Amino acid sequence: MVEEEKSSKSVAKKFAFKALKAFLKSFLFYILYLFVWSFLAPITEFVPGLQQTVENFVIVYIALGVLGDLVADTVFQYFFSTAKALFVIGYLALTLNGGMLNLTYRNIALTVDLRLFLMVAILLSLLGLAKSMLQAISYMNKKAEFGFKT
Amino acid sequence: MDVSIRMIGIASTFFWIILLAFFASAAYSVKDLHLGVGEPLLSVASNGDLLVSISINIENGGYYDLGEFNLTTKVADVNGSMLAEGSTFIPTVKRGGKVATFHNLTFNFNDLLEKGSYYIFNDANFSLAAIISMKIAEAIPVKASSNFSVPWGAPFYNFELGEPTFEPFNRTHLEVVVPLSFENHAFFDVYGEIRLRMYNSEGLLVGRGETVIEAPQGFLYNGFIVFHVQTAENIREGFFEVYFSTSLFEYGPLVITYG
Repeated sequence: MVEEEKSSKSVAKKFAFKALKAFLKSFLFYILYLFVWSFLAPITEFVPGLQQTVENFVIVYIALGVLGDLVADTVFQYFFSTAKALFVIGYLALTLNGGMLNLTYRNIALTVDLRLFLMVAILLSLLGLAKSMLQAISYMNKKAEFGFKT
Repeated sequence: MDVSIRMIGIASTFFWIILLAFFASAAYSVKDLHLGVGEPLLSVASNGDLLVSISINIENGGYYDLGEFNLTTKVADVNGSMLAEGSTFIPTVKRGGKVATFHNLTFNFNDLLEKGSYYIFNDANFSLAAIISMKIAEAIPVKASSNFSVPWGAPFYNFELGEPTFEPFNRTHLEVVVPLSFENHAFFDVYGEIRLRMYNSEGLLVGRGETVIEAPQGFLYNGFIVFHVQTAENIREGFFEVYFSTSLFEYGPLVITYG
């Protein structure tokens, strides 16, 4: 009975720790977003809807990060990590219109070629995806090894 | 395996930071990029073409060099025919640097007249297409284009010859006085001369005259051309051929009937 109580306390403690970690990571990411956004803010006048687009991205990215942190030390952590990498690729490709942004500001048609940026971002996201895959394989491998030993 | 995965993670994070920092700072640099366009300066080239020079000042206060700055302007008439095209290319504007240059557009009036004498006597609207392209931080190509409507003022707007008056000059000749008027709506002064040839109803040349004209921008010109014709000629009806000769263009004949 006492051991059961101790075990449930330990699970709660672990979860609280995970939640705290997720909160701190999200908070740091949000601070980083605010910092980067302060540089991008001057161009919002020319790009209507940019803030909304970036905010949506940040919300989903943080949510996936929080979920991944909450299920840390399980295989689901890597699912969220993979989803995060795929989300970054998909969202960037869609919102950047394949790298060619066409905007209209008053009487001026503006075309920004972000294909180079998009290509590097997708390559880095693929690197993140590969990392998540490898982590998942490593995790399953370790789990199998542990099960085999016991 | 853990070490290699960690190394992938570190490398990925490092490059993400580099990419975001570069992109954010390049975007932020745009705010410190100042492009100044001056008033157009007009001059006449040695071959009679009209040269429109627009001063361009680029001040790059950003963090990165600006590459491949290109300004292209195209002027077309109402039918879409190209009248003038100019391009200015600056390979690099260093960060913290300033570049001042001129963007030139050359109008060949004789080309313009080949497309129609309409523009000598009638106001119109030309379309001006301006395209600016550059590489922000020498890596992010940006292109901005816009179309403007540019009013064209005719140099001989509302050109009219009045009814000629005939007065006896001597026993053999009559003095002919032909009033003429026009408004100079053009953005340049008109200096030159107008020559007139008078033909009777049978198509015979009966007299000729000329006058020097000086019409600054916006000037309403009223003048006369005086010449003499032989009394014996049948001159009560016929037509004039008008020839225009200015520092910018030659045009003629413009046929106007009288009588």
